[in-house]
Amino acid sequence: MSVTESTSASLGAPSGVGSRPTPNARPDLASDASPPPGPAGRPAPRRGLLRSLFRNRKATVGVGILLLFGALALLAPLLAPGDPMVITDAGSQAPSAEHLLGTTAKGQDVLALTLWGARSSLAVGLLVGLAATLVGVTVGLAAAYFGKVTDDFLSLVTNVFLLLPGLPLLVVLAAFLPPGTGTVIVVLIVTGWAGAARVLRSLALSIRAKDFVAAATVTGEGPGWIMFREILPNMASIVMSTFLGVVIFGIGSQAGLEFLGLGDISVVSWGTNLYWASNDGALMVGAWWAFLPSGLCIALVAFALALLNYAVDEVTNPRLRVPRRRRAGVRAPGGGTAVSGAAEAVTGPAGANGHGAAPVLEVRDLTVEYRSENRTVVGADRVSFTIGEGEVFGLAGESGCGKSTVAHAIMRLLREPAVITGGSVRFCGRDVLAMPDDELRSHRWRDVAMVFQSAMNSLNPVMTIGDQIVDVFTTHERVSRTEARRRAGDLLELVKIERSRLRAYPHQLSGGMRQRVVIAMAVALRPRLLIMDEPTTALDVVVQQEIMSQIADLRRELGFAVLFITHDMSLMIELSDRMAVMYGGRFVESAPAATILAEPRHPYTRALMNAFPPLTGPRTELRGLAEGVRFTGIGDLVEVAGGHWVAPHDEPHDQEVPA
Amino acid sequence: MHFVLRRLGFYLLAFWVSITLNFLLPRFMPGDPVSRMFARSQSRMTPEQILQLRQLFGVDDRPLWQQYLDYLGNVFTGEMGVSISRFPTPVVEVIAGQIGWTLLLGGTALLIAVVVGNLLGILAAWRRGGFLDSMLPPVLVFVGSFPYFWLAMGALYLFGVSFGWFPLRHAFSAGSSPAWTGEFVSDVALHLVLPAVTIVVVSIGGWMLAMRNTMIATNAEDYIVMAEAKGLRPGRIMFRYAARNAMLPAVTSFGMSLGFVVGGALLTEVVFAYPGVGYQLLAAVQGLDYPLMQGIFLTITAAVLIVNFLVDIVYVRLDPRVRVS
Repeated sequence: MSVTESTSASLGAPSGVGSRPTPNARPDLASDASPPPGPAGRPAPRRGLLRSLFRNRKATVGVGILLLFGALALLAPLLAPGDPMVITDAGSQAPSAEHLLGTTAKGQDVLALTLWGARSSLAVGLLVGLAATLVGVTVGLAAAYFGKVTDDFLSLVTNVFLLLPGLPLLVVLAAFLPPGTGTVIVVLIVTGWAGAARVLRSLALSIRAKDFVAAATVTGEGPGWIMFREILPNMASIVMSTFLGVVIFGIGSQAGLEFLGLGDISVVSWGTNLYWASNDGALMVGAWWAFLPSGLCIALVAFALALLNYAVDEVTNPRLRVPRRRRAGVRAPGGGTAVSGAAEAVTGPAGANGHGAAPVLEVRDLTVEYRSENRTVVGADRVSFTIGEGEVFGLAGESGCGKSTVAHAIMRLLREPAVITGGSVRFCGRDVLAMPDDELRSHRWRDVAMVFQSAMNSLNPVMTIGDQIVDVFTTHERVSRTEARRRAGDLLELVKIERSRLRAYPHQLSGGMRQRVVIAMAVALRPRLLIMDEPTTALDVVVQQEIMSQIADLRRELGFAVLFITHDMSLMIELSDRMAVMYGGRFVESAPAATILAEPRHPYTRALMNAFPPLTGPRTELRGLAEGVRFTGIGDLVEVAGGHWVAPHDEPHDQEVPA
Repeated sequence: MHFVLRRLGFYLLAFWVSITLNFLLPRFMPGDPVSRMFARSQSRMTPEQILQLRQLFGVDDRPLWQQYLDYLGNVFTGEMGVSISRFPTPVVEVIAGQIGWTLLLGGTALLIAVVVGNLLGILAAWRRGGFLDSMLPPVLVFVGSFPYFWLAMGALYLFGVSFGWFPLRHAFSAGSSPAWTGEFVSDVALHLVLPAVTIVVVSIGGWMLAMRNTMIATNAEDYIVMAEAKGLRPGRIMFRYAARNAMLPAVTSFGMSLGFVVGGALLTEVVFAYPGVGYQLLAAVQGLDYPLMQGIFLTITAAVLIVNFLVDIVYVRLDPRVRVS
């Protein structure tokens, strides 16, 4: 669930009750989405695909060209100036009023040849595309559905066919078969289906693993139904792009074969036109008009298909779209500081941090927006807080509430479409948002380091962990590689991992070890602030405990401040000095952790705390978020007691909206 | 090691399939092309040569399984008969004399296209919305839409016939004979330019777009954000963290698309009358030279399979996850 979706609609309650379970629907199990919001896990429905295609400029241009050629091919008998096969003695004439595109060496009209040629070329391409895709879909689906031996066998055949060099195979096949357009079609299908089958098989495999297919299997649907009604509709976009790819292949290869004289040279097609042009030595006598039109037509049709294909890719994977050139994550022009009373709240909670030290981090009115073409969603809304020297500040809230957005904004790691549109981030008095690139680079990791949510994904899989730690030293400090390596070894020992593991790759370590490596890396330069974005979410409970106690040890030793982000309220209350609860991009409550535990004021805070059962003590009925707590228009924090700030709210029951 | 052996087994299987295909084609195809071939050229052959060709092409009374075993034996000992169109040179000798030119042309073009295309893709993905990202892909897709041979003809017409900058045909000037002299090498290089550039221009867009798309996916990975958070220099993140990972699928697709490149190179050879196996293949088709045709097909297939195997070995070096498991 991304920030975009969650702030707008489905926060709090599993909104799709009764529908197929979507991943990440339960806030307590889901991991916090880190920006930018990626494409949803589910394939886009077909209707959406077509509609989006209509709006895509590449697609419209592509379809336009194809329609034009389709019309030309259909209307060739009406449009063409005479019979293309008529041989006259007016050979090799340059384009003129009489022959708009000139004549061939045999005196045939090139325009007529080109128009009539469209018929054969397009028909063959279309036919090959349909047939090869059909074979590919069937083989791919069968392999994915039946699995085991069937899959092994079909995959093997597919891969062998893919590997055999296409054109030489085409040539040999065509040479043995009786010449003719039928032969060309058959040969192209034989060589063209494997690519489609391979792509579709792997896609079908991934869809087959999804829950709704399992559900259909359980309800006793037959293989045909499941393959064609459950799996196939979810592959629409890939089937389409495969089809387009095969048509391109078909048209191109047909032209190639015919150019080599392996087709039926008495048929008029773009390929045979080129064959004759070449055979008649059109180039040598400078008759460029004889070969230009047909080649251009092939290229235009292939280009149109490629554009369409590209548009399908873009629609299914919006990341591929070319963005407007803009520096991401930096304040947009005109994005002034939002005026609000929250500024007062800054001094309030900061003053009450109980440490009395100068703040390490001062965030004021931080506003982050996720901007897309259609709408803008606020990911963090006028968020203000400070963290004192050595202090542990907790940030709690459900998935998608903006916790990670805040964390990324502090290090200016946000990417398109997220933009910091207001507020300030100050580190020891320095304005982080105003830093030029060089300064920002040296600020990162040296002053503020971050432990990301998933250790599995935050380590580069193809570099040894030693090299990844050494990178930190060699970038930030003038040290030799040997020295950097020695210190990397020390760091590993600090988190109780043997030095020898420096040579290990991430996949050779357990999840807990990887997270400890990341933590070691984070403290490498002794930063004054460590951001921990759900550092233990992906780990099991025992490992979680180990990691947390290790962090506590390191903190005692190195004395860094911590911004601790989690949705685990009990863990947070245990570790934090002060904490804030976030909802829909806003703070709803901020106070010392003990105060929140003792008397949570905001109904959302209470709901969040009730979402986790206490580990000890009598059993209590859980009244968590599933009840459907929703809030809108959260106001600025107001101090209700010393150091305890709460957003204005009505009494709990008036605010609860039934799901 | 296990991975490499499994791949080796797969390639051997693929090669066996192509040999079997070669064996079956003349025996089961309608129209009896082989007798046409014999009718045309029988008078020039010695009885031994006729017998050998009969056995290779199934004009033979022995049981099929025996023919098949003999055929396999012949292929592995390089006995592929004599060429009809270049009678009486054995097929193996004809191919050996020409494969070098194809390797030179295909290798040069492939190397340039792969290196430049991937670099462009890396840079395009790195600077989203920049010139490389927004302007170049459509242009390259358009250029890549032209048939290889057509673009080759265009280049030949424009730079060869009209401007006269480059030679029109063959791999070296008539009259000069192959030698390791500066003069001859530069002559070969000059003949190489047009065909190689054609192949590069048509194929580079595919490499670039594939790399760009993989890079875009890779750039969204957590380890890239982490590398940025670590304050690493952009160049280091781009190559050591992003491109290094995005390279892996590119390496795999390199093997897969090799067959296409070979096909394109064949057509280009035909246009430039470049004396490689592609040009020879067409000559064989036109001269009903089935032994040579089959020999060339098997050679090309074997070459593609061998390169794929080498790519797999490289892949194992590049991806530590495969290396261990």
